Amino acid sequence: MTSWFVILVSAAYLGLLFTIAYYGDRRADQGRSLIGSSAVYALSIAVYCTSWTFYGSVGRASQTGIGFLPIYLGPTLTFCLGWLMLRKILRISKASRITSIADFIAARYGKNAWLAGLVAFIAVIGCIPYIALQLKAVSVSFTVLLHYPDVALPAGAGHPPVLQDTAFWAALILALFSILFGTRHIDTSEHHEGMVAAIAFESLAKLLSFIAVGLFVGVVLFGGFGDLFARAAADPALAALFRFDAAGSGFDWVALTVLAMAAVVCLPRQFQVIVVENVDERHLDRALWLFPLYLLAINLFVLPIALAGRLVLPAGIDPDTFVLTLPMAAAEPWLAVIAFIGGLSAATGMVIVESVALSTMVCNDLVMPMLLRWRRLGLAAQPDLSRLLLSVRRIAIALVLLLGFAYMRQVGERYALVSIGLVSFAAVAQFFPAILFGLFWRRANTLAAFAGIGGGFVVWVYTLLLPSFAQSGWLPASFSESGAFGIDLLRPQALFGLAGLDPITHSLFWSMLVNVGALLGVSLLTGQSVLERTQAALFVGASAGSDDPRLWRGTARLADLQALVGRFLGQARADEAFSQHAQRRGIDLAALTVDGDLVLFAERLLAGAIGSASARVMVETVTEEQPLGLDEVMRILDEASQVIEYSRRLEEKSRELESATAELRQANARLQELDRLKDDFVSTVSHELRTPLTAIRSFSEILHDNPELDPAQRREFLRIVVKESERLSRLISQVLDLAKIEAGKVDWQLADVDLAEVARDAAAATSQLFRDKDARLELAAPDAMPAVTADRDRMMQVTVNLLSNAVKFCPDTGGRVRVSLAATAQDVLLTVSDNGPGIEPRHHETVFERFHQVGDTLTGKPEGTGLGLAICRMIVEHLGGRIWVESEPNKGARFCVRLPRLLPLAKAG
Amino acid sequence: MPDESRRRDRLIGLFVFGLVLLNPPILLLFGRGQLLFGLPLLYLYLFAVWGALIAAVAAIAERQRRRQATDRD
Repeated sequence: MTSWFVILVSAAYLGLLFTIAYYGDRRADQGRSLIGSSAVYALSIAVYCTSWTFYGSVGRASQTGIGFLPIYLGPTLTFCLGWLMLRKILRISKASRITSIADFIAARYGKNAWLAGLVAFIAVIGCIPYIALQLKAVSVSFTVLLHYPDVALPAGAGHPPVLQDTAFWAALILALFSILFGTRHIDTSEHHEGMVAAIAFESLAKLLSFIAVGLFVGVVLFGGFGDLFARAAADPALAALFRFDAAGSGFDWVALTVLAMAAVVCLPRQFQVIVVENVDERHLDRALWLFPLYLLAINLFVLPIALAGRLVLPAGIDPDTFVLTLPMAAAEPWLAVIAFIGGLSAATGMVIVESVALSTMVCNDLVMPMLLRWRRLGLAAQPDLSRLLLSVRRIAIALVLLLGFAYMRQVGERYALVSIGLVSFAAVAQFFPAILFGLFWRRANTLAAFAGIGGGFVVWVYTLLLPSFAQSGWLPASFSESGAFGIDLLRPQALFGLAGLDPITHSLFWSMLVNVGALLGVSLLTGQSVLERTQAALFVGASAGSDDPRLWRGTARLADLQALVGRFLGQARADEAFSQHAQRRGIDLAALTVDGDLVLFAERLLAGAIGSASARVMVETVTEEQPLGLDEVMRILDEASQVIEYSRRLEEKSRELESATAELRQANARLQELDRLKDDFVSTVSHELRTPLTAIRSFSEILHDNPELDPAQRREFLRIVVKESERLSRLISQVLDLAKIEAGKVDWQLADVDLAEVARDAAAATSQLFRDKDARLELAAPDAMPAVTADRDRMMQVTVNLLSNAVKFCPDTGGRVRVSLAATAQDVLLTVSDNGPGIEPRHHETVFERFHQVGDTLTGKPEGTGLGLAICRMIVEHLGGRIWVESEPNKGARFCVRLPRLLPLAKAG
Repeated sequence: MPDESRRRDRLIGLFVFGLVLLNPPILLLFGRGQLLFGLPLLYLYLFAVWGALIAAVAAIAERQRRRQATDRD
């Protein structure tokens, strides 16, 4: 087969890939996503199957039987738990705009930039051999195919010059692809739809290609799988592969299962496709079984192909090439080309996604933090950093592939495909404990993550990487054979004398021992900062974790934030994002205040471009954040209970207010009533004053103008004048009296008073009134009335007032008034009853109010001043007693005065 | 909701089941070179358990999807 033909086929395939990616990006730009289905999502996760799977599994199966399988059983088990673990990672990452696994781990552990850098560094170191593996597979398969129809082992010794090495050109083309479709622009969501579409297509290509080879081998070459296995069973060397112990010890099996369980999440490219490139969380539900199903399908024919290779092909053929060399040996050029394409798709898919994922990490977590720290002044002057970001990523992609190529040329030749891949698995598996504990255990802290990942990595370097260097001659071979410094216990692949394990198992055991031990130990022995604790709580607690805007306080200017985001995303994108944010909050962009919410929003936008740790550093440059003290966090936690307390107090206050309002309303009504009464009084008083005045004046005028009036008439007129004058003076004296009592200016003459005597005197004083009305007055007093402490004149005034009132309301004929006195141990009771019209119950209280007159004012002129009873009440109450009325309409009225026999002390003065 | 936690528990149960069935020492039982219908028993056993595991996860996940779909109606 000529090289131009193979090159043409490869170029055609890669051209198709570019077209699909281009189309995918176009559709994404138009908003009609090509990758919006769970099947495409599952296929993109199948980037897990690389040339390792395509070529290497067969090679491993030809030596260890089913020993290749744990690498695929592990992910199946992990996906059983996907609903718990992957979904949680997915939600957290979407909420915090996580862009890589380094970002994720750093975000969990207090947004620590150093931790992000460490993870990125380990990922790069760990994945370089893995990329080298892919390049090697491309290079080898290309060379093998060139020899068609000869099935010859490519000369292992020596490399062609770099420019003639297929791997170099493959690396170049793949770098181009990754740069084109992986770094088109800085996007806050880091979705590369074109790339994902191409990867999904590649997964389909490698699966179909492998199944085609498998079916051909089983059905065409051997006339049935039963036949194939029967022939293998007949060969004792091959029959041994049916046994479990062909796969090594049980420890190796378990170790590989665990390794694969971790790797399917921790490999940068797996994190990229599962988490970062996920466009819809619901796609995960179906991918949970579609992806394992894909793994099962692509592994179904591995063992038959391996057995067939060993049965059919001459010894000395590299088992890693069986997939390609079997069709060639059967003289099936087209099938060979299909197998080659399958292998190419497996390799390219991995390299593309891995390099994009690594470049994001290198840029966000290694290069940018350094640039921002060292050349902050220089960067601050640059208005637009998005170009710089893209350049850094593009250079990173080229560099990663170059490193992979170099590693392949130097080291890779000496290892089988699977061994190289497992070295990478063991490196990235160091992230797994930090992720797992980070997701489900709050107390795992930053220092512990450092210690765990760092310690595990150091052990990995010592037990796996350095021995591989020793093997390739970079280190003396004695390092592997007799340990560092010749100390036997430090032999890298039998540390402390632990021999008999596979190097991978050995390394995994020691590194995980150190990793998990340090993670647990340090977490238990040290505490967490406030930021660590809040981040841990977000990751462990919330299923849709997000930062709490209340956890930010400080000052910043909107323009600064906008400019900052603009420098990384481009000003137009930043402006658009901010206006959308303002719109979501229903306010104008100009009215946007810089609060925790907005700062967090800006930080997330930046996190999408440069990672959460760097984003935090950048946001801190434009905001003056005051450190959040523990007491403030406690206060935030307390807020809930405070809110309850506030609402309780508010309710209390509102109840108080309500009752105060009711009181005020009552008082107001009373004031209005008093006001009305006052008006009435004024008019009553003016009327009362005017009536006698008018009478006095008119009679005086008559007397003055008619000196010849006869003496009898003159006397009569004079009598009226005198009477009206008396009434006038009585009224005035009462008003004055009232004012005096009210103002407390009365000089109380307190002495022992005999109420019976007072009653008799009052009766005598009012006897004229009774005679005028022809009413009868009865007086009933016990013989020995005890004395009370009171003002005699005032009590006289009260009694006279009550008597004159009584007689006033007596019927014109048969009027009867009864005064009675009674005494108990404490007090004395004076009652005055009449047989008048009585008082309605609603007036029982108001009759004692000032200016209040009971009676129909229409039937005649008012008979009193409306002040008498008010004055009585004032006097009685001043003396510590009580006055009230008992009456029913038409049954007479009975006024009662109860006085204490001894004046209460308070009133004594 | 009880549905969610039951589904979660079932998946954890599957995981534990798979962990036991797909690892030694169970594998030692089937991995003594026996043949079944002319095929290696270990090979058949591993793929059968694997397939059953996937089918069980699929049943749980798809029921969930259907329920979500009807919920949305």
